[in-house]
Amino acid sequence: MSDKPESSKPFDPLEAWKNMRDASLEAWAKVMTEAVNTDAYASATGAMLNMSLSASAPFREALQKSMVQALQQMGLPTRADFESLAERMTNLEMRLDDIDAKLDLLTRTRAASSTRRKAKSA
Amino acid sequence: MTGFQVAPEAIAQAEERLRRLTQVLTTRAAIAQTPKQVIWTLNKAKLYRYVPVVSAEKRHRLPLLLVFALMNRPHILDLRPGHSFVEFMIHKGYDVYLLDWGSPGLEDRHLKFDDYTLEYMPRAIRKLKAVSGCEEFSLLGWCIGAILTTAYAALRPDDGLRNLILLTAPLDFSNKDGITFAKWTDKNYFDVEKILAAFGNMPPEMIEYGAKALRPVENYIGNYVRLWDNLDDPHVVEAWHAMHTWVTDNIPMAGATFRQLIVDLYQNNRLMQGTWTLRGERVDVRRIRANLMTVIAEGDHITPSCQSESIHEKAGSRDKELFRIPGGHIGIMAGSGASKQTWPHIDAWLGKRSA
Repeated sequence: MSDKPESSKPFDPLEAWKNMRDASLEAWAKVMTEAVNTDAYASATGAMLNMSLSASAPFREALQKSMVQALQQMGLPTRADFESLAERMTNLEMRLDDIDAKLDLLTRTRAASSTRRKAKSA
Repeated sequence: MTGFQVAPEAIAQAEERLRRLTQVLTTRAAIAQTPKQVIWTLNKAKLYRYVPVVSAEKRHRLPLLLVFALMNRPHILDLRPGHSFVEFMIHKGYDVYLLDWGSPGLEDRHLKFDDYTLEYMPRAIRKLKAVSGCEEFSLLGWCIGAILTTAYAALRPDDGLRNLILLTAPLDFSNKDGITFAKWTDKNYFDVEKILAAFGNMPPEMIEYGAKALRPVENYIGNYVRLWDNLDDPHVVEAWHAMHTWVTDNIPMAGATFRQLIVDLYQNNRLMQGTWTLRGERVDVRRIRANLMTVIAEGDHITPSCQSESIHEKAGSRDKELFRIPGGHIGIMAGSGASKQTWPHIDAWLGKRSA
């Protein structure tokens, strides 16, 4: 005969491990959330970002220059050429949209006047 | 002597879990499935109209335009069938439109809030009016989309906007201690010009890192632990997969817009101070006349409640409601409780004002 109540579950080591894991994750999450919300973190990440951008800038510029030169020598369009083309396309789209707006207005005005005419003749 | 033996069922179960985990982490879920039509485009922006499911006679008269943030896809509004805000609203009888900003290329790095608010939005709204046949409309702006819709409502109060819903709106940047992003983007630490000189636009990877680093343990570890624990539950896995697909599909933010977001708003709080100008026009929120509902997520770490409260006092609207709801920045609209709390509340408020 056992002293244990019938409803008690047998010990599950995995469940206990899970509970411990969740508790530690929760505590860790709280600490980290507080840590990132500090001026020290902001200052450190800002400094790292600035440093990596400054260090890579000369290489990026050199690569860009040589790429432009190479493309021009081969008679191929550069990124700047594509950008200016894209801008012109967008401007064209805007003009088309203006025409579309005027057409919409004309259609509505025509529809309204024909409704008025029909109402008058009736 | 008997060796260590593993039951074949346990091996099969482990194999199945591993297969499911690989599938979820390496594939993209089918999201944004509600049928829609493109009715207008400009550059990368598209205006969609969702195919109505309620007859025209039973539909609300006013169309509803959804405007989401600039650095994420708007698919979160239509995440998956059976769990989609768009689907919910069209079944409630709304004529729903979505303005998808698209992904800006390097050629769009000069685009500013000015262009989005005073060039793209008015054109899209003109088309919406032409298609819906209604001169009035409702606007719902979420996150950065709420900045755009607030600016539009203040600059064009006579353009037919009747109802304005702002979800987790980052509008007030005065409480620097309460906003982690404001700390990170402080002018003493954060050099926006250096980033834009290097990349032109704000890269999506940096935006994603920024959003996740606010809660690093939850986003980088806890999220995957939750998936592992629930791998045998297909409902949880499906929801996780859809959300993961959306979260990992960020887009760049146009360089000039990002500069305005950081310098004008995060660093100098120009919108709430009434000194923000777009194309030479001052954005004065007191000019907003549309009926206004501000939805605040109480557990929002991206846009803390202090950023959305003051619009409620400052906006010139007579009909205003501030709705607080437990949950996070995205969870209030896409979490498991959204269909029971946030969406019905929006429908109840908007329905009364959409006749």
